[in-house]
Amino acid sequence: MKVLILTSGVPFIRGGAEILAGGLCDAVCAAGHQAEILTLPFQSCPPSRIPEQMLACRLLDVTETCSMRIDRVIGLKFPAYLVPHPRKVIWLLHQHRTAYELWNHPAAGDLIHYPDGPVVRDAIRLADRTFIPEARSIYTLSRNVTERLQRCSGIASEPLYNPPAGASLFYKSTPQDYFFFPSRINPVKRQWLVIQALALCREPVCVRFAGEADNEAQQAECAKAVRELRLSERVEWLGMVTEERKRDCYANSLGVVFPPVDEDYGYVTLEAMLSSKPVITCVDSGGPLEFVVDGQTGLVAGATPQALAEAMDALWGDRRRAATMGETGLQRYRDLKITWENVVEKLLC
Amino acid sequence: MRILIATVKVPFVNGGAETHAAGLRNALIAAGHRAEIVSVPFKWYPPRRILDQMLACRLLDLTAAGDAPVDRLIGLKFPAYLIPHPNKVVWILHQHRQAYDLWQHPMGDLHAQPHGAEVRDAIHRADVELLPQARHLFANSRNVAARLKTYCGIEAAPLYHPPPDAPRFHSAQAEDFLYFPSRLNALKRQRLVVEALAHTRAKVRVRFSGPDIEAGYHEECMAVARRSKVHSRIEWLGTVSEQAKRDLYARCLGVLFPSLDEDYGYITLEAMLAHKPVIACADSGGPLEFVVHRETGLVCEPAPRDLAAAMDELWEDRDRARRWGEAGRQRYSDLRIDWGTVLERLLQ
Repeated sequence: MKVLILTSGVPFIRGGAEILAGGLCDAVCAAGHQAEILTLPFQSCPPSRIPEQMLACRLLDVTETCSMRIDRVIGLKFPAYLVPHPRKVIWLLHQHRTAYELWNHPAAGDLIHYPDGPVVRDAIRLADRTFIPEARSIYTLSRNVTERLQRCSGIASEPLYNPPAGASLFYKSTPQDYFFFPSRINPVKRQWLVIQALALCREPVCVRFAGEADNEAQQAECAKAVRELRLSERVEWLGMVTEERKRDCYANSLGVVFPPVDEDYGYVTLEAMLSSKPVITCVDSGGPLEFVVDGQTGLVAGATPQALAEAMDALWGDRRRAATMGETGLQRYRDLKITWENVVEKLLC
Repeated sequence: MRILIATVKVPFVNGGAETHAAGLRNALIAAGHRAEIVSVPFKWYPPRRILDQMLACRLLDLTAAGDAPVDRLIGLKFPAYLIPHPNKVVWILHQHRQAYDLWQHPMGDLHAQPHGAEVRDAIHRADVELLPQARHLFANSRNVAARLKTYCGIEAAPLYHPPPDAPRFHSAQAEDFLYFPSRLNALKRQRLVVEALAHTRAKVRVRFSGPDIEAGYHEECMAVARRSKVHSRIEWLGTVSEQAKRDLYARCLGVLFPSLDEDYGYITLEAMLAHKPVIACADSGGPLEFVVHRETGLVCEPAPRDLAAAMDELWEDRDRARRWGEAGRQRYSDLRIDWGTVLERLLQ
């Protein structure tokens, strides 16, 4: 089969979506097909240009190439998934979120600040409602994205999970005295919530953070909170780490803390499970809640410093329970069949 | 500078255009810029689809990437070079030839399609009106510049670039074969070479390499070879690795490149880098900018007997073939075909 993976991207920027498209392309090729990624440029500012780029996508023709049929198109991102094709499936990473649940988000909202924002928002919503159902099948990154698509556009879809990069390389080792929290450092990932919780812990809980801050101000803010709460002995900032170092940190941790706001999917949860570690997350964390079974593979806490502190204390004080939860997490990962083979089979079926 | 290269990608097809874009990107990065290729898919049939895709290109926005401006856009292929940008330079690989030199030509078919004339006119209009919006216009070769002048009345400066891995070409003792590396199709004219073999005085041998990209063409060539009983003097190597290709260049007696109105043609340059003489035809286009008749190779009429005579000439005087090859290598150096020169002119 000739399989064309269609996505949108901002030139010079590589993130999770690019990694996922690459992983999918490799997996389709490994299954004996020909696959290629086509990334269309997307510029979301000013908003008035968005409908023009949606139209551009509708005008493209990828039904054939040099008189040879393109057997399957897999659309990933807005607006590239609007490109028409008779044998298209959509594996939705996310819609244009500031036209939906982030419309009036205090930090993330952008369209809302422009005079023509509402018109553009409505055009995006109309295009999604009209054209997404053209696809033969509609899959999403996670149940969280599926629920949003149902709620925002009234379209049914099925979550299709993919493994994190290098899934087979994660391992477990003897737990040491720290929780691990790998993520970009920003308000949405809520490193600050963990710091506040640490101040309330009864046990001498320690946390290692890995990842870069989106900007220096955010890093400075976290550092300041640590100083003011006198937590410098119990917090370690590793910054950007290699994949290998990251896997070591998972393997040697007591557990993983991952309390972001409404994450789409979250490889961190899966990486923790692959390392046989329990995961502490919050009731509003989105994606992680699809994997963490409260009390069995980790703990789901209220999104407050106090509730998070209690959860961390609970695992810190009962290492055997933490280890059992970690083992159950790994078993759950296996039961969920989170493999590229499964992804490819579904998308090409 | 943050620089985007706008080009066209025909899915699942890789050819000279992709290599060119990647070479340019790598050269820009090596010179300390941030550079990326933006590709737009292109499908030229039915003809009216071309209009949609031209419009799609006009609707894309490459003035900025995220929060930061894009300082320069370098457009290479139709219709991607139509994407607007205040700091655009166009380095035309080729226009949509079916609307120009291949109109009413047996190799073209736009003229034979419904709405063909209407689409041709729209392409002309877009090129004539939008190409001059670029700050500078360059062409891949003198041949491409001449076509742009003839059909659109627009001036562009020829700007040559090196083939990929130019420094890795080498030369060796000539063996008993002429080499013809190219994708197998009617425009490249492998069939003409097979027909010529029936007319050579000497038992000239030819090795072809390159993938089949036109259904039935390879079979057709083989059938001609069997009918004229020259098949035992031909080797079809199919797709070969880059290293094997360089090795074949190094060991051949000379290179055959008789294709029809080539835009540029890396093959001529690769032959020169391998110190080999080139046989091209009077209508081969690009190669004629490099091959100097009877100094670095031979230019003949695109007919079997003429081509046969040229092949015999190389075959029968090995020493002269070698001298022409050496002169070709010298000419390559004199022409300053290097990425440094390219960037200097594109970013001026």
